[in-house]
Amino acid sequence: MKTFNFGLVHSLVTPFKDGKIDYDTLGHLIEFHIQQQADGLAIPSHTGESVSITGIERKEIFKFAVKTANGRVPIIANVSEAGTDLACDLARSAMAAGASALYACVPYYWTPPESMLLEHFTKIGQAGQLPFFVYNSPEEMSGVKVSSKLTLNLIKDLPEFAGIIDLSLDWQYMIEVISEAKRMQPNFQLISGTEYMISARAIGATGLLSSVSNVAPQMIRHLYDLCLKENYQVAYELQVDAAFLYRLFNQYGISGLKAISQSLGRDVGNPRMPLDQLQADQIETLKQEWRSCLSIKNEPHAWST
Amino acid sequence: MSLVLKGVMQSPVTPLHEDFSPDFENFEKLIDFHVRTGATAISWPHHKAESHNFTMPQRRALAEVAIKAVNKRVPISIHVSALAVEDSFDLAKHAQQAGADAIIAITPYFWKYSAESIYNYFVNLGTSVDLPLIVYNSPSYLDGVEFTGELTARLLERLPNLIGMKEASFNSEKFFEILKAAKPIRPDFSMIAGVEYLLPSISLGGAGSYSSAGAICPNLCVQLYEACIHNEWDKARALQYKLAQLWLLFRDQYPSSLKGGMVIMGRPVGPTSAPLPTASPERIKFIEKNLIELGIVDTEPHGW
Repeated sequence: MKTFNFGLVHSLVTPFKDGKIDYDTLGHLIEFHIQQQADGLAIPSHTGESVSITGIERKEIFKFAVKTANGRVPIIANVSEAGTDLACDLARSAMAAGASALYACVPYYWTPPESMLLEHFTKIGQAGQLPFFVYNSPEEMSGVKVSSKLTLNLIKDLPEFAGIIDLSLDWQYMIEVISEAKRMQPNFQLISGTEYMISARAIGATGLLSSVSNVAPQMIRHLYDLCLKENYQVAYELQVDAAFLYRLFNQYGISGLKAISQSLGRDVGNPRMPLDQLQADQIETLKQEWRSCLSIKNEPHAWST
Repeated sequence: MSLVLKGVMQSPVTPLHEDFSPDFENFEKLIDFHVRTGATAISWPHHKAESHNFTMPQRRALAEVAIKAVNKRVPISIHVSALAVEDSFDLAKHAQQAGADAIIAITPYFWKYSAESIYNYFVNLGTSVDLPLIVYNSPSYLDGVEFTGELTARLLERLPNLIGMKEASFNSEKFFEILKAAKPIRPDFSMIAGVEYLLPSISLGGAGSYSSAGAICPNLCVQLYEACIHNEWDKARALQYKLAQLWLLFRDQYPSSLKGGMVIMGRPVGPTSAPLPTASPERIKFIEKNLIELGIVDTEPHGW
């Protein structure tokens, strides 16, 4: 399996209009993020409301994204599902559409034991035949972790397995998983799934899956580049603001990201049900907090720079 | 009152005789060993020193021995946390009388606390002595009772002697939240990782760490810290990954396995007190095999 270098991947929101996927706007959005120097685009991620998008729509999105990006940046397809066969089906579609890599989290809802997780991920990876990343986010997934033992078994059983995207923020976990995995497979990649890039990079992460880059692509690019150069003292101030925004959008959710996107002149509609829309007063408070962050002063407005 | 902590600080285990009484003689030797092998400060008794299993007279007697053994070569802080808060206040007063350089205390045990009651506890403790205070955050052991950035900032405004935090959530968000709340108020405030996870703590602006493995591999600890502060990150990662293997080895039955490993390194410190298990001969053999494979036996000091 060819090595796929993850890099700085933007985790895009999905634009909706009248409850349907707004492909015109998605096209603009993809162009915008390519201009903003994303190394790759993750579509549709949790930030892109993947769990609220039907299987048929997800396959359409894969095709549309690959066609629009047209080889300028790789498309990384999120094929997470509750059922293994459904995930495998998405993986095959993403590969057929021309995606460059895949990722999946542990199955939704079931909280399966480790042996079943190994089977789940192995089958998805084999179905997709593309570099395959596994997404570790225990807080979102009822505490189910992708343990270092499971990681080593994936390295052993699945040539497509390329690395872990980590959202746990847990030093003990990250250091254990990368040190054990790299001893067995030197090409193993640890990808940070949060904007805590300084600590992740110091531990050995070589990529970032970023949601904040929907609204602060310049700042995140700058932070990421400084971290890759391991220039942590200079990166500190940006890390302070990135941590602030990470928490802000955890609090206000996808509705908050979409509200700020709109205030920046990029209307991507509202989230689909069952996610709540923010009330007008909440949006006002969010905007005040957003504007209090100094690093975002030069972020681009509208669709082009 | 000014004391700035940095580097890899050692929190010694407590040597015991076969009848589980404190072994003062080996305790002095161990503290001397840590100071000679690069500890930038000493702190005793952290939980790995079996703090909970001693009587208050034993803790006071051991604290006096520790302070004498350090003999002002590096700063020494005394951990004063006890199940009964009244005991903590007594231990704090005693630490000051005995000549400690600082006290350290975790959020109170067992009960569920509001931020306000944690604040009040530390204000009472911090104003009860004329010594620098280090606070200790360990939410996973205390069912989520923890510091926030806001609580830390309030305490810093109130307590001029609050100089640092032992932070044992090992979580980037928590560690950085507290650090960025504290630095504007007290630029010298030391964020100290609970064990030697130096890659993330130093890169984020932390001051260093306490240590799990310093009684086994002090050289490795010192080399890792030096690599981090000199921006030699590739070297630091290689050292950190090696230390991670040791932590996996010792975390299992901590601190029994650590005491077991010290036997291999020629620094035996006796059993571990109940309810903690004592490392079995088989367990010690297993640890020995790992220490040899990791090259620790050949690169780290043997004996006292």
